[in-house]
Amino acid sequence: MYEVRNIAFSYSDRSVLKDVSFVVSPGETVSLVGDNGAGKTTLIKILATLMTPESGTIRVDGQDALAHPIRYRSQLGYMQENPALYEDMTVKGYLRYRAQLKGEPDKRIRRRVGEAIEICKLADTRDRPIRHLSFGQKKRVALADAMLLRPRVVLLDDVLAGLDCGMREAAAEIISNVAAFSSVIVTGHEITDLVKWSTRILVLRGGVISASIPSAGLQHGEFVAKVSAALRGGAK
Amino acid sequence: MSPVRVTFRRTIGQARSLYTAALACAGFLAAAAVLFAFNLDAAEGCRVRLVPLWTVSVAPALPILAALLGMDVWSDERKTGRIDLLLAAPVRERDFVIGKFLGVWAMTLVDIAIALATSIGFIEYFAPALMENVSFASFLPGVFALAMQSALWSAVAVAMSALFRNPAASAVATAALLSAIPRGLWYALMAWAPEGRPRFGEMPLDAQAYDIASGLVSTGTVVAYAVLAVSALFLASKTVASLRCPGRGGRGLLASTRTTVALGIVSAVLAVALAYRLDVVLDLPIGGREARFSPRTRSILAESRGTVEITAFLERGDGRFRPLSHFLRALVAEADAMCGVRIEVRYVDPTLDLGAASRLVREGVERDSLVFEQDGRIVGRLRLADGYGERACVSLIERVTLPFQRSCVYWTTGHGEASTTDYGPDGLSDIARDLALDGYGNKTIDLAGGAAIADDCALVVVAGARNDFSVVELNRLRSYLEGRGGKNEGGRLLVLLDTAHLGGIHTLLTEWGIRPVPAALSGTRTLSGTDVVVSDFAADHVVSAPFAGQRVVLDSPVAFVPSAAADESGTGADRKRYSPLLKAGGATLAAAVERGEERSDLAIRPTRIVAIGDVGFSLNAHLAAFANANRDFILNSVKYLSGRDALTQAGTEPDLLVSGMDRTARARLVVASGLAFPALVFLLMAAGVARRRNR
Repeated sequence: MYEVRNIAFSYSDRSVLKDVSFVVSPGETVSLVGDNGAGKTTLIKILATLMTPESGTIRVDGQDALAHPIRYRSQLGYMQENPALYEDMTVKGYLRYRAQLKGEPDKRIRRRVGEAIEICKLADTRDRPIRHLSFGQKKRVALADAMLLRPRVVLLDDVLAGLDCGMREAAAEIISNVAAFSSVIVTGHEITDLVKWSTRILVLRGGVISASIPSAGLQHGEFVAKVSAALRGGAK
Repeated sequence: MSPVRVTFRRTIGQARSLYTAALACAGFLAAAAVLFAFNLDAAEGCRVRLVPLWTVSVAPALPILAALLGMDVWSDERKTGRIDLLLAAPVRERDFVIGKFLGVWAMTLVDIAIALATSIGFIEYFAPALMENVSFASFLPGVFALAMQSALWSAVAVAMSALFRNPAASAVATAALLSAIPRGLWYALMAWAPEGRPRFGEMPLDAQAYDIASGLVSTGTVVAYAVLAVSALFLASKTVASLRCPGRGGRGLLASTRTTVALGIVSAVLAVALAYRLDVVLDLPIGGREARFSPRTRSILAESRGTVEITAFLERGDGRFRPLSHFLRALVAEADAMCGVRIEVRYVDPTLDLGAASRLVREGVERDSLVFEQDGRIVGRLRLADGYGERACVSLIERVTLPFQRSCVYWTTGHGEASTTDYGPDGLSDIARDLALDGYGNKTIDLAGGAAIADDCALVVVAGARNDFSVVELNRLRSYLEGRGGKNEGGRLLVLLDTAHLGGIHTLLTEWGIRPVPAALSGTRTLSGTDVVVSDFAADHVVSAPFAGQRVVLDSPVAFVPSAAADESGTGADRKRYSPLLKAGGATLAAAVERGEERSDLAIRPTRIVAIGDVGFSLNAHLAAFANANRDFILNSVKYLSGRDALTQAGTEPDLLVSGMDRTARARLVVASGLAFPALVFLLMAAGVARRRNR
């Protein structure tokens, strides 16, 4: 169980997050949506321990993540909006490096890297330098990195941004596979795509989670309409 | 695999795919090689050892190398946004910092190793004489000094890279902090107060590298470098950690981080101050102490008896104190090893040891000098400004410890010769006083008066005879040179020819193999138009060999050629061996002849003659007017003629650096080591980068 309680964050003159709380169960894929500047990326960065919140707690299975950041980060997979990778490395070399950095024992690295390559459909590009890959392929590499060691929590920031239709479907499939062993939190603006595979949509508005809309029992169109209404400030 | 190791490998791998890294490595090799060649040229003939010279040549280029190799390690991560991926990994900031530092340091160490290997290779090829007494292991102290400095430079480069988002700004800040600011301040200070140079010595960063390379390791310096390197890494680690602190929530963490950094800086300053307060200078027996002194010096130290006290009378803060103490300790150790004379060294600081200092001052001893005492009596003194090298010290030790031998120089009179009692510009009082200081008595002899040449005669000097010697006088000299009274002790003669009047002595010289001829000089250097500046000394003769890199000045000299008597006449011990000593414009301006062999066990001594083509060479006016080696050349000739070869032998100053390279060889060395090889390294590395990028 991944619990986020009362997270608040503000820059010197502007409050971005006031009181953000939510819970994500194992195997759940939660999408975080909101307007530009609503604080989605800030929240993801706080969850990834890249920023320090003013208040609030993050717990993984009851353990305080901020009190034991190294242990927490070893259970975490994180992907930025714009994938920043080592362009001189090959896909396989990069994933191997990341696995080593995350402390995976050498004897298991090969299997982990092979699994990530297979899930993210990178077999054709495994030995190519990253600089020769397209933007979409780089995103897939970053996604492979995020889910490399089957982390307990995967944080994906604006995962669909800049991807074409085909790539989005591929990303959706990958995320569905990742959700088999992780709690996935995704941010984005592409509501019609996100509702296809999200188990829940969280709407971030005014520095708080203004709506939590589960997909269970809802048709696709109905789900989209509810989320859109929540974004406009309607349904809770 | 530990995160430090993973980060270390990534740092190396990343640098291998950068053209800037290739350029930095090649540029470093080029700068180090050119500096080394320049310093080699400047130190030619000076009392400098090869290893420290190489070390201080490489050291100034290291900060730039570290700045260029380290500029990307954090700045690039921040610029591209990869920093977020790193900080989201389960790794402590300090592990990243250490890994990146080790990567940068390892690359600088590899560059230092390449610079060392190529320097040795090129020296072996262009100036093999320099490597005769130097082994590869001798360079290890120098490499240690550079490794220590490069560790600090690399740590600072990593810290600057963490502070700046832009790699170029990081490189500029590092170079400014490590090179431009300290060196600029130092040179500005020295320009403002040049009298500080003798007190503070050389630029501290260079002086520290020089000291360690010569085996003088200051624990304070080593600790200071280590503390400062750790502090720089600590600063880098905290800087990276503070990247997690934007916004109000991070204020507390940021404040505590800044407090920690401030405390860390204060602790580092205190640790460095404490290290220097408790400084112990270790004189490590590295670099081959056996090679420091010539076999002849060791022989003198072994043969000498008694106890000599050497007092170094100078301030401990003086820049010359450490090299002087290094030299004296080596001399004491050598004397102890030889089981001969016992040398005791005392240091008297005129500002601290007031009692001892006042005693020395009462005795008329100047500050900044070495005082030689025996049984509480001052027997010699050397001003540091005049040099305190092996030859000077051992000469004094020999004089005060070996059994007293009456040794007089006899100056001929009656033929218009210059006089040793003439204090005017045309007199010889100056050189006579130097000979007296060296333990010789100065006497005159009138050969025409029937006076026999006494047994205490070390040599006869004919200094510019203007009137001819009579047949009787020449026969008396012939008899003296052939050997006294059948004792098989050949005579010794120093002839300084007057250019206008050869004085009949030329016939005697011709009989012994030296024929004076008018000098036809071409392409010679001159100061006034009539004099000749000579810097071509025969390297294979004990009189002239120590003068490599120096110069003497002669005024309208006579030249010499070997006569028919030289070399051809006689066999074995009877052979007259002609040796040119000074050459200029194709002419020999001083020459020596020797017949017979030294057989100390049989009381046989060879006949020796030295002829110099200008009496003005040794006159007061010339010795006072020219900054030249004339005085030393005359003294060396006298020592050679009087049998004190030990004090003239080439190699009695092993620290003299003589490369033997001519201008062409120097140019080739610069082109090969400073241009061609670095260009090759750059091409190879760039090809590797291109291959990685295009695969």
